[in-house]
Amino acid sequence: MLTKRKSGAASRTKHQAVAAGLAAGMLDRRGFLRKSGLAAGALAAAGSLQLGSVRQARAAGSSAVGPETVIKKNVCTHCSVGCTVTAEVVNGVWVGQEPSYASPINRGTHCAKGAAIRELVSSDRRLKYPMKLVAGQWQRISWDQAIDEIGDKLQAIREKNGADSVYWLGSAKFTNEAAYLMRKFGAFWGTNSVDHQARICHSTTVAGVANTWGYGAQTNSYNDIRNAKTMIILGGNPAEAHPVSMQHVLSGKEINRANMIVIDPRFTRTAAHATEYVRIRSGTDIPVVWGILWHIFQNGWEDKEFISQRVYAMDDVRKEVAKWTPEEVERVSGVPGEQLKRVAEKFAKEKPATLIWCMGATQHTVGTANVRALCILCLATGNVGKPGTGANIFRGHTNVQGATDLGLDVTSLPLYYGLVEGGWRHWARVWDVPYEWLQSRFDEVPATAGRKARTRKENMEAPGITSTRWFDAVNLPPEQIDQRSPLKAFMVFGHGGNTVTRLPEAIEGMNKLELLVVADPHPTTFAALDARQDNTYLLPICTSLEMDGSRTASNRSIQWGEQIVQPAFESKNDYEVLYRLATKLGFAETLFKNIKIENNVPSAEDLLREINRGGWSTGYCGQSPERLKAHMRNQAKFDLITLRAPKDDPEVGGDYYGLPWPCWGKPELRHPGSAILYNTSLHVKDGGSTFRARFGTERNGETLLAENSFTKGSDLTDGYPEFTFGVFKKLGWDKDLTADELATILKIGGEKPETVSWATDLSGGIQRVCLDHGVIPFGNGKARANAWNLPDPVPVHREPIYTPRPDLVAKYPTRPDERQFRMPNIGFSVQKSAVERNVARDFPIILTSGRLVEYEGGGEETRSNPWLAELQQDMFVEINTGDASERGIKDGQFVWVTGAENSSKARMKALVTDRVGKGVAFMPFHFSGWYEGKDMRDFYPKGTDPVVLGESSNSVTTYGFDPVTGMQETKCTLCQIKAA
Amino acid sequence: MARMKFLCDADRCIECNACVTACKNEHEVPWGINRRRVVTLNDGKPGERSVSMACMHCTDAPCAAVCPVNCFYTTADAVVLHSKDICIGCGYCFYACPFGAPQYPRVGNFGSRGKMDKCTYCSGGPEADFSVAEYEKYGSNRLAEGKLPLCAEMCSTKALLAGDGEMIAEIYKQRVVKRGYGSGAWGWKTAYRETVAI
Amino acid sequence: MRRAVTLFSTLVLATTLLAAPGAFAPARAQNPITQDGQNPMGAKPTADSVNEEFLFKNADKITGRVSIPDRKSANLIQPQGREYRAFRESWLPWIGGLGILGMIAALAGFFLWRGRILTDDTQESGRKILRFNAFERFAHWMTATCFIILSLSGLNYIFGKRLLMPLIGPEAFGSLAQWAKYSHVYLAWPFMLGVVIMVAVWVKDNIPNRIDWAWIKAGGGFLGKGHPHAERFNAGQKGVFWMVAGFGAAMGVTGLMMLFPFTVLDINGMQVMQVIHALIGVAFIVGILAHIYIGTLGMKGAYDAMGSGEVDLAWARAHHDLWVEKQQAKTASGPQLTGRHPAPAE
Repeated sequence: MLTKRKSGAASRTKHQAVAAGLAAGMLDRRGFLRKSGLAAGALAAAGSLQLGSVRQARAAGSSAVGPETVIKKNVCTHCSVGCTVTAEVVNGVWVGQEPSYASPINRGTHCAKGAAIRELVSSDRRLKYPMKLVAGQWQRISWDQAIDEIGDKLQAIREKNGADSVYWLGSAKFTNEAAYLMRKFGAFWGTNSVDHQARICHSTTVAGVANTWGYGAQTNSYNDIRNAKTMIILGGNPAEAHPVSMQHVLSGKEINRANMIVIDPRFTRTAAHATEYVRIRSGTDIPVVWGILWHIFQNGWEDKEFISQRVYAMDDVRKEVAKWTPEEVERVSGVPGEQLKRVAEKFAKEKPATLIWCMGATQHTVGTANVRALCILCLATGNVGKPGTGANIFRGHTNVQGATDLGLDVTSLPLYYGLVEGGWRHWARVWDVPYEWLQSRFDEVPATAGRKARTRKENMEAPGITSTRWFDAVNLPPEQIDQRSPLKAFMVFGHGGNTVTRLPEAIEGMNKLELLVVADPHPTTFAALDARQDNTYLLPICTSLEMDGSRTASNRSIQWGEQIVQPAFESKNDYEVLYRLATKLGFAETLFKNIKIENNVPSAEDLLREINRGGWSTGYCGQSPERLKAHMRNQAKFDLITLRAPKDDPEVGGDYYGLPWPCWGKPELRHPGSAILYNTSLHVKDGGSTFRARFGTERNGETLLAENSFTKGSDLTDGYPEFTFGVFKKLGWDKDLTADELATILKIGGEKPETVSWATDLSGGIQRVCLDHGVIPFGNGKARANAWNLPDPVPVHREPIYTPRPDLVAKYPTRPDERQFRMPNIGFSVQKSAVERNVARDFPIILTSGRLVEYEGGGEETRSNPWLAELQQDMFVEINTGDASERGIKDGQFVWVTGAENSSKARMKALVTDRVGKGVAFMPFHFSGWYEGKDMRDFYPKGTDPVVLGESSNSVTTYGFDPVTGMQETKCTLCQIKAA
Repeated sequence: MARMKFLCDADRCIECNACVTACKNEHEVPWGINRRRVVTLNDGKPGERSVSMACMHCTDAPCAAVCPVNCFYTTADAVVLHSKDICIGCGYCFYACPFGAPQYPRVGNFGSRGKMDKCTYCSGGPEADFSVAEYEKYGSNRLAEGKLPLCAEMCSTKALLAGDGEMIAEIYKQRVVKRGYGSGAWGWKTAYRETVAI
Repeated sequence: MRRAVTLFSTLVLATTLLAAPGAFAPARAQNPITQDGQNPMGAKPTADSVNEEFLFKNADKITGRVSIPDRKSANLIQPQGREYRAFRESWLPWIGGLGILGMIAALAGFFLWRGRILTDDTQESGRKILRFNAFERFAHWMTATCFIILSLSGLNYIFGKRLLMPLIGPEAFGSLAQWAKYSHVYLAWPFMLGVVIMVAVWVKDNIPNRIDWAWIKAGGGFLGKGHPHAERFNAGQKGVFWMVAGFGAAMGVTGLMMLFPFTVLDINGMQVMQVIHALIGVAFIVGILAHIYIGTLGMKGAYDAMGSGEVDLAWARAHHDLWVEKQQAKTASGPQLTGRHPAPAE
């Protein structure tokens, strides 16, 4: 009978052997696989072709040297967990993927997307060459022609309408270097309208968290969740959005027998593993959090010592919380008081406790306030700044943290330097260009509609337009848009077109644009919406797996990804495209002054070195390419829980994995990075830190500096402000600076050297001396329970614009209409009108949205991957069994979902399930390619259409923007569903 | 010799489908063939659990018993494999299989459903190890390289365990003891006539 | 809890829903939480997790939800294959083997005892009467040829691996079985067509009546001397006809189900179809063996009816006297005598 030969050529790996056979047959792997097809008929044909070569290879025996298998490591591009991807490359072809056991983050594992990522690179549905739309038809063009035409059009638009009429949309899938380069490019072009996906995922987190304790980032790490004894996951579904993080979450749950509490309107795959599930009404996060705090304050479970030492104005919160009695919380959110009491007791008493949140908390008109409330919950219970605690914010895309850090943001320069003169001058010094020249690139804005005119300098310091409203900046009457001209051109890099709410209006905006350029590995939704005839370009960009560069994971660890294979087809990487464009526009020389260019491709290492030279404010200064590469080589040495390597290791000794920022000082200083932010139990040289003294030293007679709290081994044993050369002189620490450092500081300071700070000192001397004194450069402040600079200094509940509870609007209205980001935000009027028209009667179902594990973001990339697409072949809406039976809807049948604005409608399948409660519907947001029931497949350039198309959830989403960041409301609107 | 088994710890499985796409990736499995899948039980209800399922490589495998052409064989590692050269695509193994493992390239039986395809425990087929013919018909042969099935190796939460039956049972037992609960070794009774006693 | 399988529609999700109408406590219109203060989802998802034992208590297979459109894949564990296997591997070979060998033995015994049933040579008239026209014979032989190949290829599913494979080795057997399968699948169509034609053409002559009863009581002429009356078909032949019609239909239906698996039935249905197909197949073969015996070796002259289509008038008078009378009455010129001009059928 049949037996299996097991001896075999053990010395050769399968890829060598298989590849040897392939090479002899002159077929690439893909070619021969196409033949295989597992079919009987195909085998005969393929067999005759293949057998000879196999025999040949076998005859040569073990002495035959197959082509070398090269192992390349990069980082998965699909979420912020930062899983290492280990690729096996033979003859320049990516032939296999191996588990990356050495990575302390993913330990060999992947989710569906990571395990299918090889297909991205070889996908034949990629955009293969530059294309342009001519009279509604896609035409292939050369790169030179594309850059030429785009450049000419950009110049013409700029001359006629000003620099601000061009919008530069970057991507969270950029490498750090590309994100930085694009922000720099925007500055050189002369606009602050440079944005990316963080706007629509965690912009409110960044704003809320940074305004509470200093930095807008996850305080701890995925791995550190293993230390938690209680975890609350609010508005997040990591089982689908960050599956590999669940390895740490569930391990923590098991090892510590930890409480895992999931608070969500939807019974998610994550909730299935919870020890307690709290179902809330969408958009009532603040009542729920205040409801939890009410029990905490009522029972005295708060951490009084922590509050007195490290928190400012908690009493202001108490006043607001007092209003949220269990009865009122239940009336508004639907959550019974008893359940919240249980949650409160666990979170406050079974410590360390961590709070995990995602877009369920952030994507609201009250997103920033939600985040602030969550931070305050951590502060009140002392659950921040220690292992197992913290605000573990799971970010979305692979490098959304890094792209945010590096300034793809309309309100800041790279690394959160503000749009103020000091910030601009800092970067002008780093970039080695005159500040005045940068200023000259910006528009002068004439006075309009009663608004004052803006000088170039003022315009340079005015936040740009948010990506959530780019189309409003096209569609609205010009006098309502506070810049020289409405948007005329839209440059989209790595960003789907279906990701913003109010799609019907976005299509109208697309139609009016004078120029639309989509630079992406895939054509994206922009290509599929039938809105344009001409002046539209598609530029094929390679994935970040096909280029070098670093990416910052959600936990702030920076990982270096090496190019796995050459860019597929005619695609080019982001660096090269920006270089070519800058060359065409005439500022490549200055833009790449200190960057080596090889074959038109700027060096990623040099870009990172430039980031290091200017990245003091956020501690992006110590992560040199050499150090990061050493980390990738030595992954196995880092501890699973602390992420730290043993001190005695020659290459990475004492470092935390990926040098999580802040990593102070120059690389030579070998700061280990900061695995846990605001952790005072460590020396700053071991990654310890305090809350950032960012908001001054005193307010209303109350100190804003920490009291009796400081990092281990600190020379200063109380709160202290951030360090400047002036402070140094007072402390006498200026003497510790080297002559070179001093010279640099004096040169930067000019007439006022005292003002040179830890963040602007290019010598790194101030940071170095701070570390030697055991103090944190940014000062030792208190976290703010009252953030007076925000619209709602203490978060208050505000009903969603389209609320299912119009009866609550009088008591909890949304914020009044006001102008933000150069445009009016008329949320209040919209809400008022909705209540008056009783929209909730005609659209009785709450519509919320979220992720599927198989897809990511706008979904074009993942829906083009057949391995993933096969698993989710249709757009669907989850509808409660009760609602479905009332409407005669059966599982799997088509339904029409109608939205409350724009007479919008979308056709999709119904998934009848109790995951959603009665009166709630859920849609995944990854689909596009259908619009109002019409299949738009033919609008894609031939051969680039994704495998799976479907109606975009944003077809039916509605108005609503967070006042602080312009975040859109995707998690709570209203809809009606009927059988199709 | 090891007795290779799969064990899916449903208290860890989050239906992320990594096992499914890892399999597709490793073996270039075509559209429509699902050597592995994840089934969610009690969907949307408390107690919801997801289980990743593929060929369990049964003891005294029913597929092998009912095969009219005896194309199945069991390796020294107790992996149940089959020969596509002998398989006639009759579909009987699917009728006998408790786990829905056998897959066919074509939907209808008219003419032929094509050669049956199923999980090989990443250990190829009767052809020579690492040969093109083996790869073509069955996918790659990780076991011969000393590696375990990629689905289990890449499982996001380490829910899916592969390896020697006694070892993975031990790992599972320790987990259950540590965390205090466990919904059991799904399919073991049916596949191996035994379960993991805690 | 009871599971009810909801209608699957082509794509999205193969589903089985928990249909428990009582589980949806009335909720406030815009509020997902029940008024009794209890969270409808239950407080501790972990503690209440489902397990195999519990699920098997409520259903004979464990079914859930999958995202792929293949509805079959939603079944996680379906142990019913055990019974199917037991039948196929333990019972079927015995049933089939004993049935077929038993019939062969019975026929051999009968042959030894009774010998070949002969017509009296002296009575042979030398005149022929057309018993089956060309179309009828074509239909018969098409069906018969298909049947033989279908039987052999069908038996190969049961006995091939037991008898043939050890003889010729797995590779040769593999190719043979593959061709056998192709022939089984493709010849099923002409076979089914043939059965349909034969039923259509002969059904009116095969309606059972009182004459058949007498024929049976007289032992059909096998046992004693002399022939009982018979019309065009005697009771024995009618039996064969109805067997072919019935078994043919059953084989056709079950076969079609297997040709298009899962289009109508689920896995258990497929198993049942397989069992029926195999059992009837064996019975069919057994029955046809007897038919072949009588038509060839067992009775002199019978073969001519399907061979040349013409039988000796005397043979016809002996075996189908009533039919001959009717035929002769029909034509003024007496019986359709031999010649190269067969009359049109009816």
